[in-house]
Amino acid sequence: MYRILSRAVCTARNHHLCVYECYVLPVKYDDVLRAFTGANTLSTCIIRQCEKKDVSDQNETTTKDVKPEVEAKANDGGETQQQGDGKVEQVLSKPSQVKSDGAKSGKEGLLDLLGAMKVEVTNKRKLKNLKTKQSFETSAQYKSKPAAMESTISMFQKATVQASAKSDALDPDIVAAASAAAATLPNQSQAESELLKQLRQRKALTEAQKKGDINNLGDLIADMKVGKKPARQNAWPADQIRFDDDGQGYTHDRGITGELANIRKRRNVFPTKRLNIFSPTTDQQGGESALAKPTLWDMDFANELSLSANQMPRNGFEEMIQWTKEGKLWQYPINNEIGLEDEASVPFHEHVFLEKHLEEGFPRQGPVRHFMELVVAGLSRNPYLTVQQKKEHISWFRDYFHQKKDVLSEADVDLS
Amino acid sequence: MGFSPHRNREAVLEALASTVHRDPTAYPYQFQDDSYLSPRTSAEFKLFSLSQESGRAAAKYFVNNNPKFFTKDFAEPHIPCLMPESVALRLEEVSEAALRERISLRKVSAAVEMYDQLLQSGTPVSMETTHEMLDLICVYCDRDPVQEGAPILEDGEGGDDTKRRKVRGRRGTDLKFSWKENNNAERIFQQLPERDSRCYSALIRGMVKHGVFSKAFNMYTELLNHRLTADVHVFNALISAAPDVREKFSERWDLITELLNQMSQQKVRPNLLTFNSVLKALRRCGFLAKSLAPQTLNEMKALGIAPSLATYDHVLAVFYKSASSGPNNTDILQDILTELEGTRFTCQDPDDVFFFSSAMRICLDSKDLELGYKVHQLVEVGENWRLLGDSYQQSIYYGRFFNLLCMMEHVDVVLRWYARIIPSLYYPNPQGMRDLLQALDTDSRLDLLPAIWKDIKTLGHDNKVDLVGELLSLMARDEHSAEVQESFAQCALDVKSAFDGRSSMEWTTPSLSHITTLMLRANKLQQAWEMLQLFKAQNRVPSEALMNSFLSACQSSGAPHRAVELVQLSAAFCLPATPGLAKRALAELELTEEQRSILSEFEAAAEEEQ
Repeated sequence: MYRILSRAVCTARNHHLCVYECYVLPVKYDDVLRAFTGANTLSTCIIRQCEKKDVSDQNETTTKDVKPEVEAKANDGGETQQQGDGKVEQVLSKPSQVKSDGAKSGKEGLLDLLGAMKVEVTNKRKLKNLKTKQSFETSAQYKSKPAAMESTISMFQKATVQASAKSDALDPDIVAAASAAAATLPNQSQAESELLKQLRQRKALTEAQKKGDINNLGDLIADMKVGKKPARQNAWPADQIRFDDDGQGYTHDRGITGELANIRKRRNVFPTKRLNIFSPTTDQQGGESALAKPTLWDMDFANELSLSANQMPRNGFEEMIQWTKEGKLWQYPINNEIGLEDEASVPFHEHVFLEKHLEEGFPRQGPVRHFMELVVAGLSRNPYLTVQQKKEHISWFRDYFHQKKDVLSEADVDLS
Repeated sequence: MGFSPHRNREAVLEALASTVHRDPTAYPYQFQDDSYLSPRTSAEFKLFSLSQESGRAAAKYFVNNNPKFFTKDFAEPHIPCLMPESVALRLEEVSEAALRERISLRKVSAAVEMYDQLLQSGTPVSMETTHEMLDLICVYCDRDPVQEGAPILEDGEGGDDTKRRKVRGRRGTDLKFSWKENNNAERIFQQLPERDSRCYSALIRGMVKHGVFSKAFNMYTELLNHRLTADVHVFNALISAAPDVREKFSERWDLITELLNQMSQQKVRPNLLTFNSVLKALRRCGFLAKSLAPQTLNEMKALGIAPSLATYDHVLAVFYKSASSGPNNTDILQDILTELEGTRFTCQDPDDVFFFSSAMRICLDSKDLELGYKVHQLVEVGENWRLLGDSYQQSIYYGRFFNLLCMMEHVDVVLRWYARIIPSLYYPNPQGMRDLLQALDTDSRLDLLPAIWKDIKTLGHDNKVDLVGELLSLMARDEHSAEVQESFAQCALDVKSAFDGRSSMEWTTPSLSHITTLMLRANKLQQAWEMLQLFKAQNRVPSEALMNSFLSACQSSGAPHRAVELVQLSAAFCLPATPGLAKRALAELELTEEQRSILSEFEAAAEEEQ
């Protein structure tokens, strides 16, 4: 899903700024593209009118005409959504996007960014069709920020007619890469839009630095929110209060869990005050003491615990669990090699082919050899002895025959 | 070899065990092997579990002390716990190894002796052994612990619920005085050339455990003077001792905060027991507790320490002081239960087992059935029932729950619970049965009384005169259908035979008249007459109303001779109602001449007196 952000920005003499933003679905939708271009040409014409400082009825009607069109196209897309928390800095960075002519391929920039940037994923709810409301809120904010508005206006003034849909959008390759990267993240659309936002800001910044427009740069930087703290949201996942990027203020996370939490909170009779003696740092002392050998005190405490709770089994299986823990019972699933863990690594041929142990210390032929071959044959069939025991058995005979060397040599048996 | 290492070895059995549900009609599992051990009352339950446990302990004692008879090892692979444990000392020479052996076998006095010999011979004892030595003496307060299953059962450790309870109670009271001035622990400690914080820790914990609290605090001051730091266990012990060394509530709390601040300064990380000790101490801090307990709880949560049931028990105790304080606000309990819903607990603190019974007490005090069900729901989650504690605690809990049910719930539901928990989980006391009787009365299901009487008999409460009296009065109060009256009469006869068997039970006038009334209502004239005879034998006097209803019964069943006898009996009791009875009998019954003359005599006699 490729989303291209398009905005028609119109400013008026009475410091009204209406921002229409819409996420338009894939480029393959031709009509969407048309709307896109249309919106931009419109914006251009509005800008021109702004330059003349002339607000006419005609202007407004045009705006009205275009708006439903864009909306219709957006709805066409089906999945197209309006991001409720319109971002101020997006509005601000927008003009520079207009200027930026894709001067530099953003691909490397994206790769750098992906490497360096931690994309924060939040569950922001998407609001549909809040366009009008949105625009007014934004405009209200602009009222309070005349300086920012001035700069916007000045940037618009600088913007030339060549500002087109192409310049507005980022390089399609970058967009593709960003969306591919975002697809690996849980909240795809959110991540993607943030990626793109970051790219645009980067591009805007580069552009501004290239032009050496210090004032604009200052404004740009001042109004940019770069690098939110990821820790904030991880620390209080249950009832976090999020600051909405549209500057509306604090909003509670809604949803069923949120509702329940609210009910609970309302009912919570405990004040939230705490003693404030300890700081909630995680230091490692607890882990250290756990590693240490249990002292008599620990055993005493464990004993006390086991005495206080009811440990009686309720049925045969629970009793068997108890026996298993005490080691009285075969462990389930039944494994008939249990207790033979030492033997597990011994291959079977060590058990069966024992002739090699007769190489040394025994005669090559004769009655002793014959006897030992029988012994070995017997041992190789014995499943109850370990290999070690079998070897010991053989070496016992070795010693024995060596001790009886004299007797054997008398009887003409060769032992060499 | 083979199977997934991630699966623990009990997993298969656990899965199987989870398919077995409790059978409310069966005896507890531990008694199912032996048909002789079939407890029907709580006393029997105690006795049987005691005998079972002591049998095991005796066997173990015998095996351990006579290892020479138990050398055969059939098991393959070898099962260590089936072989005798070594309980006798093997190393006789004076050495550190011998000392360690004595320590591991927990022979306190032998260890002390060995230690002294080592010191005299000038052999240095390593610091680790010294630590263990001090731990041993301090845990057992310089006395030899009784070996498990040993014949001297004065204060044995192993064993059954009742004994456990006593031991626990004793820890608080008797043992307080057994830490003697300059005992071996203190003596060895003073002789040490250098003392580290573990030595102090052993001493302080021992002193707190055995009730010499101020001494423990002195020891702690000494530790601080030596620029040593205490560990978390020392702080836990000291916090739990804080209420005993200060008089005023605010002073107690000041001491606790001081200790907590020192912990924080010394970078000692508190644990669950720290906060449980704080909350337990707060229970003894009066008015301060209500504001400070929630703060403590919040501090815990801020530190990421999950509270255990004991934590909540202490909080509840702070907010619900006693049953007598009138209707309580149950918000706190409600809140806690909402928070805990569906949580599985393991025992982390010996006090955990008090939570459920005190929560149920609050439900009972505030007569909040909904909340009671919520508490019970929590008990039924996972293995939480184990935290009901020993059989004594468990019977307290179920007693309260059942009492609440009887008070607030519809009788059908009460009876369903009754079938579910009695007697497989709970042997009700006479008061519990009386609650049930009242519940039956409230919802007019008195026809169930005979069945309840059977249970009362099984539970061994048929010798409780009050309870039986109440049962009889409920049966005799109203008239019921003939069928019910018949079953009541049978039941009453059963009650009578229960009285007959025991010399300890004495008949009361109401019980006698109730049974007689029940007999009359079921047209059992003969049995009723026998009851009247019992009045005489027990030196009790029947009421006039009873005599009159007896006469009516004689009339309706056409037994004139019985009526005459009744009037004679009445005269023998010197009842003022005699002439009235005689008059009624003369008027209402068909009598022979002889009977008439007898009756007129009684009637006339009365008139003469007037």
